[in-house]
Order: sequence, then C-alpha cells, then structure tokens
Amino acid sequence: MNFWFGLLIGIKEIGAHKFRSFLTMLGIILGVASLLAMFALTEGIAQGMREMLAASGGVERVDVTYKDPSEELQDLAFLSPGRTMADVEALRKGAPLADLVSPQMDMGNVAVRHSNIKLRLTVSGVCPEFMEMGKFEIEAGRMIGQPDIDSVGRVAVIGAGVADELWPDNPEYIPLGEAIMINGIPYRIVGTFELSESDQSKRKREAGISAAQDERRTRRLGKRKAKAAKFDPYWQKNHTVVIPISTMFFDFRTAANADGSPNPKVDRLSLRVSDLSLFEETLNQVRAVLIRTHRGIDDFGFDTREEWFDSIESSVRATRMSGSFIAGISLLVGGIGITNIMLASITERIREIGVRRAIGARQRDIFTQIVVESGVIGFIGGLLGLAAATGMIHLLILISPTENAPVITLQAVMISFGFAVGIGVLSGLYPAWKASTLDPIEALRYG
Amino acid sequence: MALVELYDIRKTYRVGDQEIAALDGVTLSIEAGEFLAIIGPSGSGKSTLMHLLGCLDTPTSGRLLIDGVDISRASNDDLSAMRNAKIGFVFQSFNLLPKFDVLRNVELPMVYAGVAAKVRRERAMEAIDRVGLMNRLHNTPLQLSGGQCQRVAIARAIVNNPKIVFADEPTGNLDSHTGEAILTLFRELAASGRTIVIVTHDNTIAARLPRRIEMRDGQIRLGVEAQVSNTAPLAPMPKEVA
Repeated sequence: MNFWFGLLIGIKEIGAHKFRSFLTMLGIILGVASLLAMFALTEGIAQGMREMLAASGGVERVDVTYKDPSEELQDLAFLSPGRTMADVEALRKGAPLADLVSPQMDMGNVAVRHSNIKLRLTVSGVCPEFMEMGKFEIEAGRMIGQPDIDSVGRVAVIGAGVADELWPDNPEYIPLGEAIMINGIPYRIVGTFELSESDQSKRKREAGISAAQDERRTRRLGKRKAKAAKFDPYWQKNHTVVIPISTMFFDFRTAANADGSPNPKVDRLSLRVSDLSLFEETLNQVRAVLIRTHRGIDDFGFDTREEWFDSIESSVRATRMSGSFIAGISLLVGGIGITNIMLASITERIREIGVRRAIGARQRDIFTQIVVESGVIGFIGGLLGLAAATGMIHLLILISPTENAPVITLQAVMISFGFAVGIGVLSGLYPAWKASTLDPIEALRYG
Repeated sequence: MALVELYDIRKTYRVGDQEIAALDGVTLSIEAGEFLAIIGPSGSGKSTLMHLLGCLDTPTSGRLLIDGVDISRASNDDLSAMRNAKIGFVFQSFNLLPKFDVLRNVELPMVYAGVAAKVRRERAMEAIDRVGLMNRLHNTPLQLSGGQCQRVAIARAIVNNPKIVFADEPTGNLDSHTGEAILTLFRELAASGRTIVIVTHDNTIAARLPRRIEMRDGQIRLGVEAQVSNTAPLAPMPKEVA
C-alpha cells in the first residue's frame, strides 16, 4: 500500500473523531509547547549572557589579575613591583601573540561635576587600546590618543549615560569641548561613547516603544517587578569616564599610598588574544614576560572569559536538560495517550481490518496504516504544539518580564516537532503490531 | 489442469486438549468457469473449506493448488497476494468500509495491488457499471440499501479480475426479492465466464446452480455431487424470477 494512501486514511480517521483526536493530541501539544517554550527561554537567557560577554570584550579578552605568590616566594614578594606600566611596555614588545594590551587605573566614588549636577562615578585612567578592548564606539569627537598620554592632557571621554545625566535638559546634546570637574580638577570633554544596550532594547527603541510606554508597563507590573524590569546590565558601561592614564597618575596617584608615596600600579591589565587557537601559547608568552618584570615573583594570574563562557554554556545546558526532562515526561504521557486511543481504535475496526486483509492487504500494509495514523496524530499535535508554544511564551513574558526575551531557534523548533512526530510513530508501533497480527478469519467474524 | 485442486485436505483445530477435525480428508477440483454451490448445515465444515479455498487459511495437511500455485504451505504475504490477485470475496454482511464512498470501496483491492490512481478509477467505474450502481458513486454504504451494498461488494470482488469469486451466504441478509436479484447478477457473471462459488445453507438457492457440493461432518457427501454433471447447462430459473 502506498504511503500517501495511508496518510489519507490517517487524516480521515482523525477527521471522523475530531474531539477524541484532539484530546489524544493534547498531551503531545502541551509536551511540544513546554519543550519549545523551555528551549526559547533558556536560549533567550543564554543569548543575553553571550551578548554581555561579547560587550565586555568577548572570550579573547584576558585580564591579568593579582594573585598571592606561591608559598616559597612569599617572603620575597616585596621584590615585585606588581602590575605597572612597565608590564605594559614589556608585553607590547615581548608578547606579540597578545595584539592588544590595555592598562587601567581606576578611582572609585569620584565626584564628577558639571555646573550644579554632581555624580559619583568610577573614573579610569586608560590608554587608547581601552576602546577596542572594551568594544566601545565613539559617538562624537575622538578617543584619548597617545599624544594626550605623552602630554599628560586633562581631557576626558564620557559614556552616553554620563552625558545624559550631566545635561539632562537635552538628551540629544553632545557636550564636546565642555568642561567637567573630576574631584575638583577641570577636564575637557573630547569625545563621547555611543550608547551600549542589549539587542533587545535596541530593537525596542528602534521599533519606537517610548520611555512613556515602558513607564506605563513598569507601573502596571508593580514596584518589585519594576525594579527587576529596570535592571540594566549595561549601566556600568554607559557610565564610563576615562582620562589619559598618565594624567590619572599625576593628578591622583602621586601621593595615593598611605605613606604618601606614589602608587604606580595599574588596577586592571587586560590583553587580547589575537588567535583563539593559540590561547594557551599566548598565556605562556605573557607569563614569560611578566615573570621577568615581576623579578621572578608569580604574583599574577589570568582571568579568562573562557571560564565565564563555559559556565554560561554549562548552566544553560543544565537548565535545558532538566526542562527537557519535564517536557519529555509530558510527551511520554502524550505518547501513552496515543497508544491507548489507537488500541481502542483498532478494536473498533477489527472487522475493517479483516476486510482489508481478505481483499489482499498484507500484514505490513495494516501495520503501516496504523503507524501512519498515529504518526499523523503526532504530526498535527506537533504543529498545534508549536502554535501553543508561541502563545505560552507570550504568556510567560507577560507574567514574568525579563531583559532576555525568549528566542525561538529553528533548531529548537525542529527538535520539538521531530519529537512529536517520533512519539506519534513510536506509540503507534504496538497497536499496529496487534492489528497486523490479527487472524483475518476471526477479524471478519468479529462483532 | 483444474483451476482449484484439493487432495486429501485436513484441517484440525485444538480446543483445550481436544482435537476437532473441521475438514477430514476433502478431495475436490473446480474447473475454470464453473458456477457451484457448497452447501451443508452449520458445523459441516463448509466455512472452513471456503476459508481454505479463499486463501484465508492454510490446511493442516493435504495439498491445495489454486491456479497451479500450491498454497498449502504459503507464507502470510503470499496468501495476501493470492487473495488480492486471484480471489474475490462477497460476504453475508457486505463488509464495506463505512467511511468510504462506493467508488473508494471498490477501488480498495486495487490500492493493495499497487494500481495507479487513474487506472484504479477507470476500472472501479467499470465494475460499478457492471453491477448497475453508477448513480451511487459517491454515496457511503450507510446511504445504500442492503441489495445495493451487496452489489458494491460484488463490484469490489470482481474489480481485480480474480480467477474465482467466493460468496458466503450472499443473500442471507437480504429479503427474497433482493436476494433473487443478487443471484441473477451472479448468474450473469457466471455466464460471462467467471468462476463463482456460493457457500450457503439454503437448498433452494443451491438447487438452481449447475453443481453442488454438500458437506457433512467435514467431508464431501459423495453421491450428491454425482447427480449433477460439471458440464450440465444452467438450471432453468423459476418463472417469477426470470
């Protein structure tokens, strides 16, 4: 018997018992819906996390951190100058595999003032590499350049959030050439960074969802949820204030230590691995350079994003696994439902099966017919499940808004749908086997 | 060689620890083009005989050849193929598929034969025309009378152009008038050269067929068959029917 004929019979049979077939499909529908919704939610979270990771420099970024030296060197630890500009120079010369080296001197809780508005922010002294390392884009003006560092210029580049807050009357205003006071010292703004935001809020902004709409939504959601909804992981990045690293040292670090001595140490030393396939080699090269500038003291370690990346992936995997397990149980229950109905259905049709056998249907023709029938139930259930999943996702967004909108990937759709059809076919196997092994004579006599 | 040949066919069933011989040594041959009746009371073995002749079952022992093919030890699939290609069935309770219309019911055997959809339709129409139901093509069995249902069943039985048609009490569920019309249809089919075997317990039907085989206790009652020659002309129809 040909497959299309079996398909036709299956559809006819389902059409003849619409309500019963729908009830049968319900398990599959809910199973597929929860499977796909779960995939979409975890994918949304994972994408949000990956976006943030990329915005902070991606996996190719490595931070050189301070670490307690190994035990046998601890008494000699004073010999090491720590992470200083000397490291930066040495790395630029001696570690070609790291194609960017960006030092940073941070000063927290600094008063940044313009006219009568005062903000408390972290100000960083940086090199020009800072911009590429942190994936910043210049909106207007320019980044701090090598001449600024050489001439110890009092210039600053500020993030979009800082500009918005210091000049609140006009959000479009670009304060190039304006002066801001950093701990009482005047700096000239030479550039502004572009606004950083998640892809989702970008989409939202471009789609024209205004702040007023957001405000209404926030009010509707109540205070507690509003806080969660307003949490902006890009706040820090948009409130960056950078000045030349040399200026930072001369203005704020010359007497920064408790005993009044200058503090030449950098607070952050980031580098970029030029080729990810040479990740380990790069770290070795960097280690070899730093061990010399640190006079043999291993008081530094590496903070790689790879671990961050891995932990994102593994937590997503874990969520996905447990979610799949629960959705899988739902699908299994749906499958048992199909088996049950198919068994009832063949009992109803024993005579028909007898007739089909008498006019020449082989066992495998009957088998195919029943399997195709339950496969069609799985197929239609899968389709309805996909539709239900989109509804379910909208519902979830409504009751629990997150920054990370669920993302439905083609792969997730295929897997969920494939499962539905697979379960449909599998649950038809036993009834099909039962139907095909009926004795034609007894089947004809039945009922 | 005869179309159907049986040599010492036995069929036994086990019921509990008891062996029951439904057929106890049946030897018989049926020539192509014969129109015959198998009669006998219930329990005589006539249904079992029909099931064997119709390739629905295989004998416990003996040799059974249909159209030269030995089916005594045939596989399940071979039996299906034989039924599909060489045998047509007409049942007492019609056994049409209630969800399909007349056309689809008649097409069904050709579906299993793997006939192309277009050819299927043509041949089904021919068979339906043959039984005179062209005006009912798209009715379902529930919308038809008993006689019409049996005509559809006959169309279905002949659509694959089988070597032999078995009818199991074809008039059993019909009133006498409709039953006569169905018998007339069989008679016409037989006259056009088709081999037809009618299984019945109704002697008034059997008496009008050219050849009768009477079953009793799993065996053919000899002597009864001998009364009618294989080559005898068709018995005259009673006046009121003809």
